[in-house]
Amino acid sequence: MLSDPEIMDMLGTGIATTVVLFAAAMACGFCIALALTAVNLIPWRPVRSLVALYVEYHRNVPTVVQIMVWYFGMPEILPQALRAWINQGNTEFSFALIALSLNVSAYYYEDIRSGIRAIAGTQIEAARSVGLGAMQALRYVVLPQAVRYAVPPIINRSIILFKDTSLAMVIGVTELTYQAKRIENATFQTFQIFTITTVIYLCVSLLISALGAQIARRYPASFKS
Amino acid sequence: MHNPFGKSLGLAAAALLAAWCGHAAASQLDDIKARGTIVCGTQNASTPYGYQDPQTRQYVGYDVDMCQAIAKQMGLKLEHKPLSTEARIPEVKMGRVDMVAGSVAWLPKRAEQVDFSDQYLQGYIKVLVKEDSGIKTLADLKGKKVCASSGSSSAAVAQKVLKDAQVLTFQTISQCYVGLQTGKVAAMTAGELVLRRFLNDSKKEGKPTALLDEPTYTEHIGIIVKPGEKALLEAIDKAIASLDASGELTRIFDKWMGDGSIYKMKRDFKVESVAAAAQADEAAAAAK
Repeated sequence: MLSDPEIMDMLGTGIATTVVLFAAAMACGFCIALALTAVNLIPWRPVRSLVALYVEYHRNVPTVVQIMVWYFGMPEILPQALRAWINQGNTEFSFALIALSLNVSAYYYEDIRSGIRAIAGTQIEAARSVGLGAMQALRYVVLPQAVRYAVPPIINRSIILFKDTSLAMVIGVTELTYQAKRIENATFQTFQIFTITTVIYLCVSLLISALGAQIARRYPASFKS
Repeated sequence: MHNPFGKSLGLAAAALLAAWCGHAAASQLDDIKARGTIVCGTQNASTPYGYQDPQTRQYVGYDVDMCQAIAKQMGLKLEHKPLSTEARIPEVKMGRVDMVAGSVAWLPKRAEQVDFSDQYLQGYIKVLVKEDSGIKTLADLKGKKVCASSGSSSAAVAQKVLKDAQVLTFQTISQCYVGLQTGKVAAMTAGELVLRRFLNDSKKEGKPTALLDEPTYTEHIGIIVKPGEKALLEAIDKAIASLDASGELTRIFDKWMGDGSIYKMKRDFKVESVAAAAQADEAAAAAK
């Protein structure tokens, strides 16, 4: 099976798409999460309710449904000309990326928020009492610690995101699982192809874990070292 | 029977017994004649081949009519047996039905397990596009997105035949239709009857689609019997040939798939050997 160049080609495309989708969704998701964290600092209730609504939607609706909504639903409310322009491009990939980024951003946001909440309020009081401004207290006291607390859950969520890229197959993104199903349909070698796919997913997941462990060791949550 | 070895041992014993019985008994055709009844299987939930009429609860369809017509030609009474799609070949092999008219398309792997009569029906895998898309032939699909339902034979065929197109699979064929109507894909591929239902819908909705004439694949469908029953197979072939000659075959076709139906198709197949027809297709495809 692995000697067939056509199959290798399909697997190669699959791995590349999966990795690019994962990396892009992770980067976009993280940026959105940071933006949400900043927005949530605005002390105005409607804003906070909107952020809460955003988080609850993305955490409580199945990811696969969110992908379908973006791909089949969202373009329908756009004007015809814009829709035609969107449909020309690699629509499947773009909408999968949007859906996965938004989805993971809600979790990343919660992880960052829990990191911030882990810092005792007395620390801010102490920081202020030694003469730091509010932003300075945040920048020099709270965030350095909060980010460290957030690293393990963010790594954990990233591995889940990596596996969730396989959901993009429902809208025909040529990621790894989709390619595996195509190869299966063409060769009927179900066991072989899914064994290969499993090994690939496992390798990449373990790689992400290892990278995460490195980061966590470099920036430990407590400053005991 | 959960022990896999127990099951295969049982099967082996059954096969031995069957071989022995086959050797000792007269041909299946003689048995059938002695009984005066032929047991003919069809699919049980496949419109318009073999399905239950929602009003009468009777099994009806193209294949059911074929069973009836063949039995009549052979001067026998019909015992109809509705079967699930997966059961078609096993039931014939075990001898629980004498023949199956179950839209079984000839495939080399199937021909190793059962014998096929001459073809009594032909099916096509085709491509549906939007009427105003300007796509007229399969070659026009170059570089375009073609949708098929995931895991279907249409998807496998499209990957092989439409090499220049980008084949996309969704979970269901209805999603492909949504994709076609919203411009996400340029075409969709599936069995002709399925596509014709979408074609009818699209005209009603005022967003007309069109079917390309050229099929991506042609299924040659024959009646299947237990392997080695030459006399029975000859009798069936003879019956089909005379149904063809008398116009009865065309009449049944028109009733289920032609003008009498929603599909409005024209009969365009000949009664000929399924294997020869399939191999001729293959040679023609290879020549391209």
